[in-house]
Amino acid sequence: MAVNILIVDDSKVMRSMIQKSMQMSGLHIGEVHHAANGQEGLEALNRHWIDLVITDINMPVMTGEEMIGQMHERTDLRAIPTIVISTEGSLTRIERLQRMGLRFVHKPFSPETIRDTVRDVLGNEVFHEPGA
Amino acid sequence: MNQALRHKLIEVTGDTLEKLAFIFAFPAETPPAMDSQRSETVRVNFTGPVCGGVELSLPAGALPELALNMLGAEEGESFDTEQQHDALKELANVICGNLLPTLAGDAAEFSLCPPLMVSGDSALIEPKEGNPTESTSEATGYLMLEAGACRVRLTWDPPASRGPEGLPAGGGHLECRGKCHDQGAGGR
Repeated sequence: MAVNILIVDDSKVMRSMIQKSMQMSGLHIGEVHHAANGQEGLEALNRHWIDLVITDINMPVMTGEEMIGQMHERTDLRAIPTIVISTEGSLTRIERLQRMGLRFVHKPFSPETIRDTVRDVLGNEVFHEPGA
Repeated sequence: MNQALRHKLIEVTGDTLEKLAFIFAFPAETPPAMDSQRSETVRVNFTGPVCGGVELSLPAGALPELALNMLGAEEGESFDTEQQHDALKELANVICGNLLPTLAGDAAEFSLCPPLMVSGDSALIEPKEGNPTESTSEATGYLMLEAGACRVRLTWDPPASRGPEGLPAGGGHLECRGKCHDQGAGGR
């Protein structure tokens, strides 16, 4: 099964870094969509079939937290596995997101951290090599 | 004296440069000369329990390597000035986010504004002469890269009460929440 991914971050550089980390991880990747803020993220979710959302928190127009809140209000979006990748240092905010069932990866991250977190969320079967 | 904060600035900047851009940097014992003509500076403002900003200056010669390492070039690929500035902005953004718990504790919630390139002479105004790291509202750290000197400066509005070593006490005693009004952009 190839995984369609939505990467939401206002930094184009960071979106590229995340995508390259995913490509290095051995994940079966289908389509990759980019969005620069939560609003664009929701628009992409409306237009495309997405299996995994990776999002930053602090973004202009609409934050990642607001986007996740709107996803959780919709039955067709709330079950999409979501990983937050952010510099966020507030335990209060991180715990609030984790209570919503989200995984959190702290920036700066290593490709291994991304791989391990995706594996935890989606399972081994979406990777080229077992245990990759 | 904000010695602890200065050390934290250096530690976070060095760690982020290494992990995000595979660039190694070493703490400078004394403030090196900074050349505004040969440096690139980016500023990230933040709002929350404490308001302020982080300013990062890197030698211009380090930016091609920074972009190359962060973006991962294909063979023969190079990155233009805008891409190099984007890489510098993201570096500053990560440094700022990792510094904020030091200012107000790890329970405090901040909003980061979009990073902005700072140009002109204002980019490298040196801290107060003879007292470069002891201001109650400013701390500056220096690192040495292969391409030259790097400076990271944290400024913040002095809060009403302070914790040990002159740092703002933990918790939200000074709320300055809001959008990044002086930048005309939403919270980052």
